[in-house]
Amino acid sequence: MNKQKITLAVTGLNNTDNPGAGVPFIRGIKESEAFDARIIGLVYENLEPGIYMENLCDRIFQIPYPSSGSDELIERIENIHQQEHIDVLIPNLDAELFSFMKNEGRLRSRGIQTFLPNLKQFQEREKDKLPEFGKKYDIKVPGSINMSTLGQIKDLEDKYNYPVMIKGQFYDAYVAHNEEQAKQAFHTIASKWGFPVIAQEFVKGTEVNVIALGDGKGNTIAAVPMRKQYITDKGKAWGGITLADEKMMELTRSIISKTKWKGGMELELIKTNGGEYYLIEINPRVPAWVYLAVGAGQNIPEALVKLALGMDVQAMTKYKIGKMFVRYSYDAIVDLEKFAAISMNKEI
Amino acid sequence: MKITEDIKISDNGFVFNSRTGDSFNLNPFALELMKNIEAEKSFDQIKTEVMEKYDIDDLSFEKDFYEFCALLKHHQIVLQDNPLDFK
Repeated sequence: MNKQKITLAVTGLNNTDNPGAGVPFIRGIKESEAFDARIIGLVYENLEPGIYMENLCDRIFQIPYPSSGSDELIERIENIHQQEHIDVLIPNLDAELFSFMKNEGRLRSRGIQTFLPNLKQFQEREKDKLPEFGKKYDIKVPGSINMSTLGQIKDLEDKYNYPVMIKGQFYDAYVAHNEEQAKQAFHTIASKWGFPVIAQEFVKGTEVNVIALGDGKGNTIAAVPMRKQYITDKGKAWGGITLADEKMMELTRSIISKTKWKGGMELELIKTNGGEYYLIEINPRVPAWVYLAVGAGQNIPEALVKLALGMDVQAMTKYKIGKMFVRYSYDAIVDLEKFAAISMNKEI
Repeated sequence: MKITEDIKISDNGFVFNSRTGDSFNLNPFALELMKNIEAEKSFDQIKTEVMEKYDIDDLSFEKDFYEFCALLKHHQIVLQDNPLDFK
């Protein structure tokens, strides 16, 4: 089969202890039978490990953080596009998604395709809106309070028993077992991530996750459920195993069908001892463990790129159960020239 | 009492629950008991076979077997509608 030549730009090459999905996404594309992809790595920092990994990216470009302004970011992408003719752009980091979603039309008009959720889908699943999301789509979610003042810790004590989860709007979560710990977590999160700080009812059970891909018309193109077997102190999976759980699959299909989700997603669920499932978070992009899905038989990166290019994609319903991933750290020895090039020229 | 269809038992005693992702290691005797439960042998049949093969008294076997079954149930390895059903 002749592979289609494409130029694919990918972010999230930060394969650190808080990894982005860029590197595993590229691994999936390199195993694709449909694409012969020229890979453009887009990085924010000059020490993102993906820059230095052999045989991963053909070119690397540094891009400005979205916090410095969407226009600056998109102009840089357009500038890179003039040199590299990007066919598809896959953003993999939460913080940049809003900028790329907002500029989807502008990028498309330049010939750069994306496949992202729309703003409504993106915003209604935000952590501080989870109770409304649960109500609207008839999904069990833990109760929560959005806090903007320390005084509201009293409200949460009236409503829930300790422990409670104290979460940032975008990132970070702490278990608080008493008022002191809740106050400490409130301050830590507010100073790092701003307001609201979310106090979420603690649901006892096992955390399980699903990676999925929606076609934007209500169809589930891919879905693989997983349980984390080894979790780092940042709460990241360092090992995981695919599960045979039809209830998780049903829940995933139901969410994608009701929301008409477009793009990759990760559902974070708590399975209680009574066999009930509580949705605790929806991440609006593929997670860093996306390569487990590839290994289990569903090449989600390939399917996502096909959808971005407007190709027909058959829903994948089978995957290997009991497939595991075990992450590891590895010291790459790097010549100074490469570091100097990305630091000084902002490209390699 | 029935082993759920999500359970895979290897000949070396490795047990994997594909629904929960849990895995367990069985010693040779636990594996023998599991194979008997999997074959849907009755409690009396298992007891007779074990007592013929090993030096164990009636009461000790019953106590240990019930404890083992409770553990299997706790880890969702077996289904047991009736708590007194060990057959």
